[in-house]
Amino acid sequence: MRVLVGGVGYRFLRDGSIGPWLSDRLADQADNGIEVEDLSYHPVGLSQNLQERPPYDRLVLVAAVSRGRPPGTVEAYRWDGELPGRDAIQARVSEAVTGVISLDNLLIVCGALGGLPDDVRVVEVEPADEGWGEGFSPEIEARLGEVEEAVWSSTRP
Amino acid sequence: MCFKNLPIEFDEEGNARLKEGVANPYSYEVQEAPTPIEENEEKLQELLARNGHIRRVDFDPVTRVAGALAFHTVVDLENRSVLETNSMATLFRGYEVILKGRDPRDAIFISSRACGVCGGVHSTCSALALEMAFGIHPPPMGVVARNILLSLEYLYDHPLHLFLLAGPDFSEPAVRETNPELWARAQGTPAPRKDVHGFGTLAEIMTEMTPLTGKLYAEALHMTRVAREAYVLIGGKYPHPQTIVPGGISATIDVSDLNEIHLRIAKFFDYGQKVVAIWDDLTEFFYEANPQYADVGKRPARLIEPGQWDDPYAYDGTFENADEWGRKRWAPPAVIVDGELVTTKLSQLNMGIEEFVEHSFYEDWTSNGNGGPQFPTDPAGNPLSPWHPWNKETIPKPGGTNWKEKYSWSTSPRWDRMSMETGAYSRIYANALAEDYSHLNYIEPTGSSLKFNVPGATLPSAELEWKIPQTWGAFERNRGRAYCIVYSALIAYENVLLGLDLMRKGETKTSVPHEVPKDFRIGAGFWGAGRGYLTHHIVMDKGVIENYQIVTPSTWMASPSDPFGNPGPYEEAVAATPVLENFEKPEDYKGIDILRAIRSFDPCMPCTTHIHTDSRVIKREVVTCACGVEDDHDH
Repeated sequence: MRVLVGGVGYRFLRDGSIGPWLSDRLADQADNGIEVEDLSYHPVGLSQNLQERPPYDRLVLVAAVSRGRPPGTVEAYRWDGELPGRDAIQARVSEAVTGVISLDNLLIVCGALGGLPDDVRVVEVEPADEGWGEGFSPEIEARLGEVEEAVWSSTRP
Repeated sequence: MCFKNLPIEFDEEGNARLKEGVANPYSYEVQEAPTPIEENEEKLQELLARNGHIRRVDFDPVTRVAGALAFHTVVDLENRSVLETNSMATLFRGYEVILKGRDPRDAIFISSRACGVCGGVHSTCSALALEMAFGIHPPPMGVVARNILLSLEYLYDHPLHLFLLAGPDFSEPAVRETNPELWARAQGTPAPRKDVHGFGTLAEIMTEMTPLTGKLYAEALHMTRVAREAYVLIGGKYPHPQTIVPGGISATIDVSDLNEIHLRIAKFFDYGQKVVAIWDDLTEFFYEANPQYADVGKRPARLIEPGQWDDPYAYDGTFENADEWGRKRWAPPAVIVDGELVTTKLSQLNMGIEEFVEHSFYEDWTSNGNGGPQFPTDPAGNPLSPWHPWNKETIPKPGGTNWKEKYSWSTSPRWDRMSMETGAYSRIYANALAEDYSHLNYIEPTGSSLKFNVPGATLPSAELEWKIPQTWGAFERNRGRAYCIVYSALIAYENVLLGLDLMRKGETKTSVPHEVPKDFRIGAGFWGAGRGYLTHHIVMDKGVIENYQIVTPSTWMASPSDPFGNPGPYEEAVAATPVLENFEKPEDYKGIDILRAIRSFDPCMPCTTHIHTDSRVIKREVVTCACGVEDDHDH
């Protein structure tokens, strides 16, 4: 089974950077068909890259996303692959090519343009602090082990 | 005479000086802004009650634009004209503040983050500014490498704009919805250049420009990849390269790198021909259907172009010689006023720049009580305005929006106190007018046009000719940008050939060593971005940045009105735009002509909401609202 684990987010934005931080941290531990990469680049490029590679059986994405949940909330789920209407997708493509990096943007753009495996798993973390800087808020710091475990769990058959 | 409005004259030897006998040569009186239709809600309601065809149409944000641009208009749908316009940069770009006190080399990497589309141009512009300040310049191969990178950024950028950002406004769904009569006409109109692009009718072209499903849309996405693939061979990554350093680039280049790049550039010979044919056919179709389309986004041809792509044997990084090495760039530095070439001297271009803040959320730094400007002259002794970027301080002053007073985070850059436009097309416009540009091998300026000798790839070789248009408007901006794909590919090709020649001579060094000077220095980078003009001005002392000022294309073009009463270019262009959209009821109005006008400039609002101080973050999410004045929003 080939699995790609990817962190998504901007660097140096405290909790908002948990995706790239984890992809750096987990890269050395990748083994047994699991690859780890920082996928924090524009999703049109990611879609093109994925379409050129041998297909993955599963993609696991990890990112901080503000959705109004209590800070530190960790959610792991299988993405349902549902896409918005054409105008909304086009808006996301425009954002992608002009530099926006986010989990939702990646899912929609790659979902529309191709390259994603059927099985896409997501580990989301609700950030407490997305201000500029390194390190995490206490709420996220306390959950780092849980987030890492959620990522590894998502890679298992 | 170069300047009509600034108090600068030239002696018999051509040296600039302030006019004699003028007490406060740069002083000015602020002209009161016209009274906005919406000065108060009561007046607006009265207008609306009298005439339901007068509508306030706000675009917030203007979509398919990088960053945060909002646009406020009042439109008379009965007379089909735009009554009032205001362009708003709705976010604060704090790079000038972020860079203060840093190692100057940080500017190369930090300023790159001003844009997620064309970060590399900021890196290079920053390196140019540092080279002037440090007193160094790259070896020829370093210059060639930067030239190639610049072209490749444009080969990424122009297709992206033409088919992903502006293109959808000309696609089947947009035309069907806003002008169904044009769609019907397009179905029966054979495409004159089918032999080049392969589409039989104008309707086929429009269909293939449809977002997500159109072949032209998909092909543009693919071509942006081709350009990026070539870019990373030298730049390391895109859009924020890792190899730009003061004095050249930190990567080595070998024959296989140049060959790999050449293979990709050659694809743009074909693609460029095809894109030119598409936009020539589209433009002619709209003009023939209704000549008023030439007036969409119309404004006088007043353009500013700092010049770009340095001659590897001429560029020495000094300000004193800037007129010499500037004149030898592939695209000449140029100021064009009402279609006439006013200057090709970088010193004069630099001398004429001022930034005003009467309608921007900043304080005027000249009223800080420090006495006169820090730099009354440039390093060559030419006079500088107190409002010149070398003298500028960035002092944010958020406040409520008021169309008569302050309404934008963009300043109002002006040259000789005139609003200027810039873009990919300003390169070819300048190049077309500068007839004596004889060092170009594949590009021939004629004074009224620019001829391109495009080598054959899968399509046969061809001679293309971009002609300076009679009317400067939205369609010509897009058409000009299409020709710029060919232009950029040919300059990239010439530089690959130069690189191979340097390799044969053993001149493979790509950079020179440098040290950060500890004494007081100033420098400036004059370069280009996908959207045109880009300058970085630096003042440094004790090894750190004392002041850093960036003027981007969108600062020029999204600017609010200036103190002399001149609107910014977006505002001016939209105000001149006729309403040609076909709608039955006012509520069906989409504003397609206004959007075509705005997007033709390829707006890109350098964006950040994060400002770094010693105490770290001080502000985020400044404002994203283009609401009317009556809404009383604080920023």
